[in-house]
This record gives sequence, structure tokens and C-alpha cells, in this order.
Amino acid sequence: MRKTQRRGRGLVAAILAASAIAVPVMAAIPAHAATELSFWSWRPEDKVFYEAQAADFLAATGIAVKFTPYVATEYNATLATALTAGKGPDVMQIRAYGGMANLSDAGNFLPLTSKLVPALAKIPAGTLAGAQGYTDKHQFGLPYATSVLGVMYNPALLKKAGIKALPTTWDSFLGVLSRVKSAGIMPLGNGTGYAPGLEQLWGAVGPAFYGGTAFYKDVVAGNRTFTDKNFVASLQAVKDLVAYMPAGAEGLDYNTARGLFANEKAAFYIGGNYEISYFRSLNPSLSVGWIPAPSASAGSPRYVTNWADGAFAINAKTTHKTEALKFLNFLASKDFNQAAADQLGWIPTVSGIKVTDPAVIAMQRAIPTLGTPFLSLVGFRYGTPTSSSIMQPGFQKVAAGTKTSADLAKDIQAGVASWYKPLTGKA
Amino acid sequence: MSKTGLQREQRKFTFLLLAPGLLTIIIFTSIPALTTLSYAFFHWKGFQRGSFAGFENFHRLFSFPFKDQFLMALRHNLLVFVGIFTLQTAAGILIAYSLYRMIKGQRFFRTVTFLPVIFSLVIVGYMWQALLDPFYGPVNNILHSIGLDSLARTWLGSTSTALPTLVFINLWRWVGFPAIIFLSGFNAINQEYLEAARIDGASEGQIFRKVMFPLLAPSMTIVAILTFIGAFEWFDLPYVLGGSSGGPAGATDTLALMFYRLSFGSVDSGANEIGIGSALGVLIFSIVGVGAAFGSKYLRSREVDV
Repeated sequence: MRKTQRRGRGLVAAILAASAIAVPVMAAIPAHAATELSFWSWRPEDKVFYEAQAADFLAATGIAVKFTPYVATEYNATLATALTAGKGPDVMQIRAYGGMANLSDAGNFLPLTSKLVPALAKIPAGTLAGAQGYTDKHQFGLPYATSVLGVMYNPALLKKAGIKALPTTWDSFLGVLSRVKSAGIMPLGNGTGYAPGLEQLWGAVGPAFYGGTAFYKDVVAGNRTFTDKNFVASLQAVKDLVAYMPAGAEGLDYNTARGLFANEKAAFYIGGNYEISYFRSLNPSLSVGWIPAPSASAGSPRYVTNWADGAFAINAKTTHKTEALKFLNFLASKDFNQAAADQLGWIPTVSGIKVTDPAVIAMQRAIPTLGTPFLSLVGFRYGTPTSSSIMQPGFQKVAAGTKTSADLAKDIQAGVASWYKPLTGKA
Repeated sequence: MSKTGLQREQRKFTFLLLAPGLLTIIIFTSIPALTTLSYAFFHWKGFQRGSFAGFENFHRLFSFPFKDQFLMALRHNLLVFVGIFTLQTAAGILIAYSLYRMIKGQRFFRTVTFLPVIFSLVIVGYMWQALLDPFYGPVNNILHSIGLDSLARTWLGSTSTALPTLVFINLWRWVGFPAIIFLSGFNAINQEYLEAARIDGASEGQIFRKVMFPLLAPSMTIVAILTFIGAFEWFDLPYVLGGSSGGPAGATDTLALMFYRLSFGSVDSGANEIGIGSALGVLIFSIVGVGAAFGSKYLRSREVDV
């Protein structure tokens, strides 16, 4: 009798314990949602936006979406580990080009077709290439935005410094930076502490020196190499800008650097359109102007680096394929992309979206005439070592004066040539 | 029960007691180590295993650019070991001796000394990052306010100060651990030795140097071996403060960070390379294993001499 009572108490305790775990989990899923999709991203700063969109999607379809962002710098490793262990999310944000081609080649993503995602049919081929397998060329993601690099400026600070004409050449740009500095205003918000930021800075100003798309095609074909004097000059341009960065630039992390521009301390910031949502989150009333990076010399061409920056993909092993495809088509919809353009400063890949931010409009307009691929990101992230993995710490050394631009160029050439056949054996 | 039967029973019981520990080591250490060893001999495309590669991954590890990164990381690990061992041992002995001689409040100060050891390393990392922030951090602000502007630095951002700064933060966090080990070493010293020395007219300094310090050898062995293993597997603090690339410009890169980068890839710079990463893992394992074994043997032989 006593044994039966004990057993009964044990059973009650077990039920209570199970309820303690199950109830909060179930409570997190809305009562009317039959399915909950997991959705991973490397953009914690977009959490509010995605959660609002998920609420709209839930209202329209009855499918819940749980948005989970990870720290950007560790996202690749986190996602790769989860997918390999068979525990990845249903839908996820993925890096473009070589960033996650390995994961695609390993069959982790559901191959997409325009039958499954009709919006793919209207995206230009060059943009679609940002989410295609390196070996099998399968479309493994829906590229969601075009990113553009250039020079952002604060009109009020330039006015305060007495700058009336925006720079068009490298020399005039350095001249303006000098004048801003002389006026007691911080000329450039960028620092050297965040290595990927230096690659992006180079991605903006470099093409004017190495010759944009023509050089890109030549180096991809193996007709020219990274030790080309024009390419070395593009690396040196980054070093030229160090003098105009804030004091202690070597210790400046990404967000502090962006904060200097957002909080109207720095007159210029060289980066991408994706910085704008961060700027506005810190300072909603900030006025941002934008110009393409200056030309290397008077009369030489200017370039605007752009690329498909990221895509949305579906886990090949998802148990909610139908729901995940519904959500992916929602992410390809005009409503979603219009909201992303308005709130995140995106330049969506989906056609028919009206961009409203004046700076983003300027960027979007520049692409057809001045557009050039982001050389290191688009072309040379498909093998190890990637050009970026040599460039990023290399730029920090160049900035600190412990390495020359010519030596960095030699390192990039040697590293890429070790796996990229058209450049192998060339110096 | 016969004597042999009793021994057999004792052996069974001993094995039974050892089994959970042995199983844990086999499942979580031996099998992953052997798996990593096998991974080092294959080609990899991301997380997809390819054909047999022989020693190619080891060869690539010792070719450009990995060779330079490996040598730089190894140098940093060595510097970290020397720095941490020297500073933590010296500070640990000093604190332990002070606690040992303390008549009142020993328990309180022992707790205070050990407190940072139990703090979350991530919290410690971010706390020091905030303290050392070149623009808003109190460390530089204090230096400026007392007229020592020339001493203000971008502590974690400069290639010349980043690694020493990390060693200092490590010292701050971990010094309680060797201090407690040395304190137990001091407490274990037979008081008769000390009294005999005093009767012979030895000063307190002489007693410390000639009697107590040599008798600390067993504690020193433990601290030295654990510091060696910790220094060559140093990952958490440089990762929290310098990221997986060991920034700035690789100034805080270590073998463990390089292993992580190679095996799992790094953001904004691309692909992972499990084969080379595993080859590096095998090397780290060998360095730590061989170094700890020889170091332990040598230090224990010194204990016998004492």
C-alpha cells in the first residue's frame, strides 16, 4: 500500500516536472500556430524588424517563425556546426559567394528553382550567382539584397568645415579630409581595429586604383596577378587614409567606429549601405550623404563596388519543407522587401521595390553605370586561404606600418595561387 | 574466500569504481582525439570528407600562409606560458605567503583572492574591455586626469600591448588558483623544520628561501604543469577580447584560435579547412602531451631530490 502511494507520488512529481518543462515551451508557440519554423541570422540588430515580419506572416498563414540571431563573427561556425550535426534551423540567412559554398556543396541546403520560388526568375543572373554552389551550380539560396560600398558623409559637418564641393578625385578627397581635420572635426570615423571593415574600406576605394571590372576579369582569368602595380596602389590607398582616422584607430571596434559617424563626430565613413540602419538606430535624425569612391586621378573612372550580400536558404533536412517554402516566398514578396528597404536600408534584389532613403537611392542609381564586383569577396573565397583571410590582418599590419602594401600584395598572390589554378605558378 | 579470490574481488571493485571515469575519458577524449588524427589524413571540402591525403595537410600547415601563422601563434603560446608562469607563480607565492602569515582575516582574504577565478570568463573579458576602452574606458581616463597622458594606450588594440594586456587580465583572474595551491603547500610544511631553522639562527628571509621554498616543489609542479597545459590551449580569453582572428593583426593569435579558424572558418574571410585544422590539432595535442609528460617527470624528480 505504502509502495503504491510512493509510486503514485513519484508519478505526480514526474508529471509536474515534465509540465514545468513543457508548459513554457508550448506557451512560446502561439495557440493557433500549427508549426513553428526556426530562422537564424547574423544580424541581431534586425531582430525587431524580423519579429514584426514574423507576426505578419503568422497572421497570414498560421505558421510561427522564431527568429534567432547570432553574433556575426561567429555565425558561420555556429551554422556549420549545427547543420553538420543535423540540428540546423529550418530557414536561415546565408553568406554570399564562397562564404558558404562548402555547406552548399555538402548538400545542406534545399536546391531552389523558380517553380518553388517564382521570384528567382526575375533576379539578374549575376545576383543569383551569389547563392549558387561552386561545383554543382545549384541555386541554394534566394539572394535578398544588393550591397553597395562608397563614401558616406555628414553634410552639416562638411558645411561647418567650410567644404563646398564634394571630392571627385583621390587627391581632392585627401585634401578635403585635411581641411576637415584642420577645422577641428574628426575627418573619418573608420578605424583599423575591425579587420573585415578594412577589407570593406579597400573594397570601396580600391577599384579606382586597380581598374575595376577589367582587372577583376583579368585576375580571375589569370592574365594579371595581385602583384600588379595598380593593385598594390589600391592597397596603399587604405594606408593613405590611416592619417585621417581617429586617434587610437587601431583599437577602434566596428560599432564604436560606426558610432562616431552616427553620433555626428566624424564627417565621413567609408562602408556599405547596410551601415545606414545601424546609424539610424543610434541617431534617427542623422542626415547621410553618399558619393561613389573618388577616382584615382582626374579623368579616370570611378567605381561603385556592389555584390549580392547574403541569401535566404532552406535546410535540406527540414521536416517543414512546405511551410519553409511558404516563408521563403514571403521573404521574396514585395511587401517584405519594401519593408526591408524602408527600415533596414536594403537595396532588394526583388524588382519593383521603391527605395526611399536619399543615400540609398544615390547608391542604387550608381550601380548600372559604375558597378563593379567586390573582387576579394566575389572571386576568391572558394578556397583556403581566401584572399580575405590574408588581406584583413594584412591591412592591419600595413596600417600599423609593420608591412608594406607590396608585401601584402605578394602574400595575397602566393596564398590565392596555392589553390586557384589560373594564378598558380605566377608571381 | 582465498587470497586470490579476494584480490580478484578487489580488482573487480576497483575496475567498477574506475569505469565511469575511464568511459568518460574514452568517449570524450580518446575517441575525438583519434577521430581528429584520422581527419588529418584526408582531403576535406567544407565538412565533406574526400580522398586519402597522406601527409599533405601537415605539409600545407608548414607552407605559406599557414606556416607563418603557426609559428606566430606558437611564439605567442610560449610567451604566454613564460609570462603567466613567471607572474602568476611570483604573485601566487607572495599572496599565499601573506595569507599563511596572516593571523586574522585569513578566510576573508582567501575568499577575496579566489573570487575572480569563479567569475564567468566572458564577463571578465567584457569587463576589462570596458575598463580598457581607449575612448571611454576609466583606465585611460584616470591616466589622463592625473597627468600621465603618455601612458594612456589602446591597450587591446595595439599590436605591442594586446598580448601583455591579455596576460595581465589572465593574471588578475587566475592568480587565486596558484595562491591557494601554494597556501596548501605552505600549510603542509612540517613546523619542526621551521623551528629547527629558527633555533639555528636563520632569519625569516632565509627560512623562506632555504627551507620553505624548496618544500613547495610539489605545489610548483602542479602549478607549472597546469599553466603549461593552459597556456598551450589558451583560447577563451583571446577569443573573447580579440575574436577568432586573434586581433589586432594576429597579435593575440594562439594555436587554439588558429585551430578554431581553420576547422570552422572565419566570418568575412571564408572557408574552413578541416584537414589542416586537424593536422594542427594533432600537433597541439602532441606539444601539450609530450611537454606535460616530460615536464612532470623532470619536476617530480626534483621533488625527490628535496
